[in-house]
Order: sequence, then C-alpha cells, then structure tokens
Amino acid sequence: MTMTAILFKILLLGVTNALGIWAAVGLFLAGSWLPLSGLVLGLVALNFAVLSKRAYPLRYLLPGLIPFFLMVVYPIASNMAVAFTNFGTGHRLTKEQVIAHFESRFYLPEGGERFTYQAFRGPAGSLILLLTSTVTGTNYLSERGILQAVELTDPRFVYDGAEIVEINGHHRLSRRELVQIMGELQELSLQWGDEAVRLVSLAEFGVARRQYRYDPAEGVLTDLRTGIAYTPVEGIFTSVHGERLQPGFAVFIGARNFTEIITNPHISGPFFRIFTWTFLWAFLSVATTFTLGLALALLLNDPYLELRNFYRTLLIVPYAIPGFISILVWGGMLNVDFGIVNRILHDLFATKIPWFHDPLWARVAVLLVNLWLGYAYMMIVCLGALQSIPQELYEAARVDGANRIQLLGKVTLPLLLISIAPLLVGSFAFNFNNFNVIFLLTGGGPPIPGAITPAGATDILISYTYNLAFGAAGARYGFAAAVSLIIFMIIGTISAINFRLTRNLERVGESL
Amino acid sequence: MKRAMALLLGFTMLWGLIGAAWASRPGVLTIWADSTRAPILAELSPAFTAEFGIPVEVQEVPFGDIRARLGVAGPAGEGPDIIIGPHDWIGEFIADGLLEPLRFLEGMRDQFVPVSIEAFSSGGEIWGLPYLTEAIGILYNRDLVPAVPETYDEFIALARELTDPERGQFGFLTNIPQPDPFHSFPFFTASGGYIFGLDEEGVLDPCDIGLATEGAIRGGHLILELITAGLVPVGTDYAAMTGLFNDGKAGMILTGPWAVADARAAGINYGIAKLPAIEGQPMRPFVGVHGFMVSSFSANKLLAMVFLQEFIVTKEAKLALYEADPRNPAFLPALEVVAADPDVAAWAANEAVGIPMPSIPEMAAVWSAWADALTLIVTQQLSPEDALRDAVARIRGLIGC
Repeated sequence: MTMTAILFKILLLGVTNALGIWAAVGLFLAGSWLPLSGLVLGLVALNFAVLSKRAYPLRYLLPGLIPFFLMVVYPIASNMAVAFTNFGTGHRLTKEQVIAHFESRFYLPEGGERFTYQAFRGPAGSLILLLTSTVTGTNYLSERGILQAVELTDPRFVYDGAEIVEINGHHRLSRRELVQIMGELQELSLQWGDEAVRLVSLAEFGVARRQYRYDPAEGVLTDLRTGIAYTPVEGIFTSVHGERLQPGFAVFIGARNFTEIITNPHISGPFFRIFTWTFLWAFLSVATTFTLGLALALLLNDPYLELRNFYRTLLIVPYAIPGFISILVWGGMLNVDFGIVNRILHDLFATKIPWFHDPLWARVAVLLVNLWLGYAYMMIVCLGALQSIPQELYEAARVDGANRIQLLGKVTLPLLLISIAPLLVGSFAFNFNNFNVIFLLTGGGPPIPGAITPAGATDILISYTYNLAFGAAGARYGFAAAVSLIIFMIIGTISAINFRLTRNLERVGESL
Repeated sequence: MKRAMALLLGFTMLWGLIGAAWASRPGVLTIWADSTRAPILAELSPAFTAEFGIPVEVQEVPFGDIRARLGVAGPAGEGPDIIIGPHDWIGEFIADGLLEPLRFLEGMRDQFVPVSIEAFSSGGEIWGLPYLTEAIGILYNRDLVPAVPETYDEFIALARELTDPERGQFGFLTNIPQPDPFHSFPFFTASGGYIFGLDEEGVLDPCDIGLATEGAIRGGHLILELITAGLVPVGTDYAAMTGLFNDGKAGMILTGPWAVADARAAGINYGIAKLPAIEGQPMRPFVGVHGFMVSSFSANKLLAMVFLQEFIVTKEAKLALYEADPRNPAFLPALEVVAADPDVAAWAANEAVGIPMPSIPEMAAVWSAWADALTLIVTQQLSPEDALRDAVARIRGLIGC
C-alpha cells in the first residue's frame, strides 16, 4: 500500500478509536456496563480486523456485522429480556433510582420554623448565610454548616444605613445573584440544634426532615414521618397493610407475562379468532396484490402496448405516496356519509356501503386499501422477474401448440415463482404484522357486540397487542414484549415452512 | 515505520479522552413545549434571563412526544426542567415518579379558577401550575341561529327546523359518531352519569365506574335519538363537522375553543353558547387544564419553581400567553382582564359546570371501551343499555377490579 493510503487508514482508525474512547468514558461514568462491554468488544474487534494480517477477510465483513449487532441482535435481545420483566407505567425506573428518589424527599413538619435569609459571598467563593426566624425574630449565622445565634450588633457586620452589606469580608448577594446560585443553595443542609434547615423557596429556609430512609441490609424503606416500613413487592414498596408507594421499579417476573396471555380469558378468548383473521388477512393481501401486480406486469410487458412508460409511471404512484398519508385519505374517502366513494355509489346505485360499521365491509375496506398500496410493489417485482424468463421457452412452447393460458400456467408461473417465492413469503410476514393499515384505517375495526375484550373485527395480532399493552392502564412494555415474542415465533415457523416449500420449487428450475 | 504509525494511532486516540471532558452544563433552564406554546415562551423568557441572568432554553417538542420522551429522557438525565402539557398526563407521570410537587402553589390556590387546581391535584399535592382551561360548548352560526335555546327540547326542535339533508344543511352536528367519547360526556352527565366515583377519602376509585348507571343510559338514548331523528349522520367526524360549519351549512356544532380560529378565518359570523340543560340539569363537559410541570429528574428544581413563581404566575405573562393562544386563562387576575370578551364569558360558563378529566392511568381502558360502546350505539347494533353495560364489564376486566 502507498504511504498516503496507510496514513489515511491509521488516521481513520485513530479517529474512530478516539470517538469510541470518549463514548466509553461516558458510559463508564454512567455505570452502563452492558453497552460499555459491547462498545469495548466492538472496538477491539475493529482494531484487530484492520491491523492484523490474519483477519483480512473480516475487514470486509465488519462494516456489515457491526450495524447488524447494534440494530438487529441487540434490540431482539433487549426485547426478550424485557418480556420477562414488568417494565411499564409505574415500573419504569431502576431500584437505585427509586431509592434515590425517596431518599431525596424532604417534608416540612407542622409548625416547623421558617427563616428569611440573606447570602454573602467571600472572595475565595465561600458562602455565609444570615437567617432570621419568622417566628422568634432571632438571627442566626451559618458557619461551616452550623447555625449559631448572633446579634445584629455583631462587630463582623458592616452596615450601610439599615442594610448589612458585608460580613467578614463576604459581600451581600443581590436577588439576581441568589437565583443564579439556586443550585448550590438548594443542596445546603444547615444544622440547627438537632434539626436540619434547607432552602424551601426563593425567599425562605425552613426546617426540613428527611422523609424516607432505606436500609440496604434489610431491604426496607422506612417512612420517618409515619414510621411505616415498606418492603419491595414486585417492584413496588408495599407496607404490611398494603399501602403502596409510587413510583415503583422494574423487576424480573419470570414467565408471568406469557402465562397471563394463556390463562387470562379476557386476553386469550379472542386470540384464536384474531389469529385466524390475521392469517387470512396476510394471505389475502399477498394473493390479491400478487394477482393484480402480475396481471399489470404481463400487460405492461406486451411489446405491442403503446405508451408503456406512461402507464408504468402512473401505476407506480400508490407506491410512491407515503403510506401514512394515503391511508388517512382513504379513511376519509370511505366515510359512510361524507366520503366520495359512498357519494358516487349513492348517486349511481342509491346504496351506501357501511364501510367501517359492518365487520365484513370493514374487512373488505382494509383489504382494498392494502391492495391499492401493495400492487405496485408486486408489479415492479414481476416486471423484473418476467425479463429473466428466456424467450426461447415461449417460442418452443408455442411451437408445441400451447395457447396463452398454457403458456402462462406452464412456462411463466413456475419460473416466476422460483424468484418471486421468497418475496411472497416476505410479503406475507410483512402483512401479518401490518400495523399501519389496520390502525390508521379502522383502529382495529368495528367492535364486536357483546365482546368483553378490546378486539374488533379487523384487529390483527399486533394491533390487538397494542390495545392490550397500551390501552389498559398506562403502558405495559413487558407484556407487549412477551406478545411480540409469541408473534415472532408464529411468523418464524410459518416462514420456515414456506422456505422449505419454495426450496422444492427451485428443484423444478434446476431440471430445466 | 511501524513504530511511527503506532505512535500516530495512539496520539489520535488520546483526543477521545479530552473529548470526554466536555459533558453537561448546569444552571440553564430547559423547557419542552409544543409548537403552539414554544414560540410564546421563547418570546417571554428573555425577560427572565435579563432579570436573573439564567439562560432559558425552549425546545420545541411535538405534543404527543413530550409525554413519551419524558419517561425515557428524565430518568436518563437527558430530560427538561419544565414541560407544558394537559392535566390528564399527571396520573401516569406520578406513577412513574417523573414529577415534582409544586408546594409553592399551596398558598396561591385562590388565585386560580378552582377547577384548574383540582385538575392538577392528586394525593394531596399540586403537580402543575395551571395556565389555561378549556371545555366544549356550542359554537353556532349567528346567521342561521339567532340564539341558542337553553333547554334541550327547544334545542332539538330548533335543530330539526334547520336540518334539510336535500340542501346539505344541518341544524346541529357533533362528531360523537366518529366515535368521540370526550364530546359525548355532557350527554351522560346531565342525567347523573359519571366516569370514576370518589371513595371516602375523596380520591378517584377506578372500580366505581358510572358509565352504565341510569343517567348514563339515558344519555346513550339521547345520542341514539340524534341519529335516528336524522339530525346527525352516522358518518360525521371532526373534519366533516367543522367543514360543514365553515361552509355555513351547519347551525350549531359541539366543539371547543380550538375550532374558533378556523371559523373566524372562514368568515363565519359565529357565537359561543352554553350547553342546554336537560330537564333542568346542566350538561357538564370535561374540562381540560393545561399547565407547567417540573420534572423530578431536573437538576434545577428550585430554579424552575422560581421561574414559575416569579415569572409565569404574573398577570403579564398569563395575558401574553392568552394573546398568542386564546383559550381561557386559569389565573383569575388575567381572566378578569379578558372577561369582557363575550366568547371568554361563554366558555367560562361551560367550564364553571365542567368536571376535570380523570388523570389516573386507568382512563386509557375507559376511552377505548367507551368509544366502542358509542360505535355500537350509533350503528344501532346494540341498545344503549347493553352497549354501556358491556363497556363497563370490559373496563373492569382490563383494570382488574
């Protein structure tokens, strides 16, 4: 390698390492051990791959492997970990954060004394506070954190008229300066006899007592005001009588999320019905979009068709418009009374279809909208795959006396399916989890009369999960993660079976 | 050569250690506000900085994102000091330990509209500084409707007179069939329905759900009558309702202050009226209160309180907020100043009989079940009794009562 190339390589690696070290220091200070170890491992691997002669092939894999681990493996692993916890509303923080939250709470006891104050700053940065009790009028000076009673005639005080401007070389701070050192002032805890005095508002200090104390040995949080002891029960500090303190923290709860799915009748009841509809929905989506896409591709492939490019451009438009917008527009167009579709139907046939109010028509509506959104993709893919079928096969078949239908069925389709089959499987998996269309168009669909569960007629597994996890009492991320794992296993199984089947198709192509 | 390269590598890596020293910056107030309020605060805050020398950074965060992000950013130490949001967020935030109670407001309760402090109170503490209140009312077209009747029977009679589907004109429209439970609430409360009852200590009891009481069922029947009498098409949604009103084709619509700007822009001669009374009982809408909340993970808690107490709770700041976003102020001195405006007086009349939206996290279950019950009622697939009873059973099942 040339000198400049080596130099460039070293500098690039150096900069990457520098960024990595900067991030590692930050992670170390924050105590995030898992990301830190991941980062260190990644950096070591990167350096090894670039610098070592033996790891030369690895150099070409690493730029792909690193994002793969970061964006695919890590989220999946994290999802799996969360599925065994109760992470969610009321259990968002870690145990340390919750304990810190409670230990930082102060309460002002009834009848506790309040003090107005003045602050003085010395040249070395030290702070002196002069507190005046609002109850007794006694003045106190804070020295090394302890309040000592003083008289206003103390010789250390320097007056300007009736105002004290200086104490012991420390100058008085203005209101503006007081606000600027708020952060410092609010951390002060001054000792007054056996009580502690803290800043309560901009204008006052007050007697404040720590409200909670945590005993790490026993694992007990005691409320010092009431004397009640709380022990953590599933992430929430609970007293003997059942009083619970908020917030709680996330804890490992084992497979409880999974068993809840199976045993809770509210959740498992509609599960089978929703699963059937999800499967049907994915299958019909793929079937309809593929049929329409292939039909259009065959038409556009015809060399005798005029203005092919123009038609192709127009037909791609649904693919180009962002799905979010087009789905919402379709929702408006399919409005029962004011939507354009029903208005046209009313003018022509004097009927109005109850698009989103009737379960059957709601399902037709989502399938139609998904067809509109998805056919362009299938059309493009089929157009490409059709080019790969050798023309000689068609000529040979025509010589053998095949008509158009036989050409399509015996020549085009089998060869097409070899290349398209993985895409069809992928499209099936995508539509199985097609949250957007269902959520934006029907929100799960017309509710089923008499159902005690939040499952509508067009709910698929993923939108049902969303309603359960986020539509009950705040967010239940642990539960949502568990259901998503189950969905993953279902789709994984279906996809594995599908891939097995398509491998058989490939053997058809090999024999040609 | 190799040694030179190794030295160069090591030297470049050292910069990483230096970079790590540039970390956070204390003593700056960070506020998260949505696109409506961020510009107002960005205009107001230089005055605070001028007086106290503390920089104030206003970050515009989309309304829906503030709630989600606070839960993640706060505990991670990346959160703001102050956020602005509606009062029904506090239930979830308190359960997650994300808010700091505002003790300084205890002594200032009587300076605010009572329902606004009630909305931000929970467990004996006040969790937000209210600055605006809003409730729905009747927005009407003065050219079609000279005056809105005060009793429900006269109200419906007037609506019937004005409704002419041939010409596309409607006397009264509402987007309840969308379904929108929020707007249907006044129908339920007029005869005694409620969402969550109060237990002996005056705290909301999530297991006492009043959506299937006699009064609530009566409300359901009233909504059904709107559909069967042909007054409100079953496909009416917010866009259709406001679209028709702004085209001058609707006499009265049930909506809130947010719809006024469009009506004004469309040149409608509009007015705002109190909801009619059903058999002498007022229709009580939900009251939404927006306010400033302090994050419990803020490094500048007292500073944030100083900002709120010294700066926001002043007539000038509240009036400035009102001017930029005309919804009723919650601060009584500011409200008095603008009360001369008849719109303000009309909204205030509705808020005065309003009920704050419950802020406990269990509301999420209520909204979805209630919306489904409304759909079943307006599409006439179930009677109001059955639909509402199913909804209550469902809510109780989801909450775990």
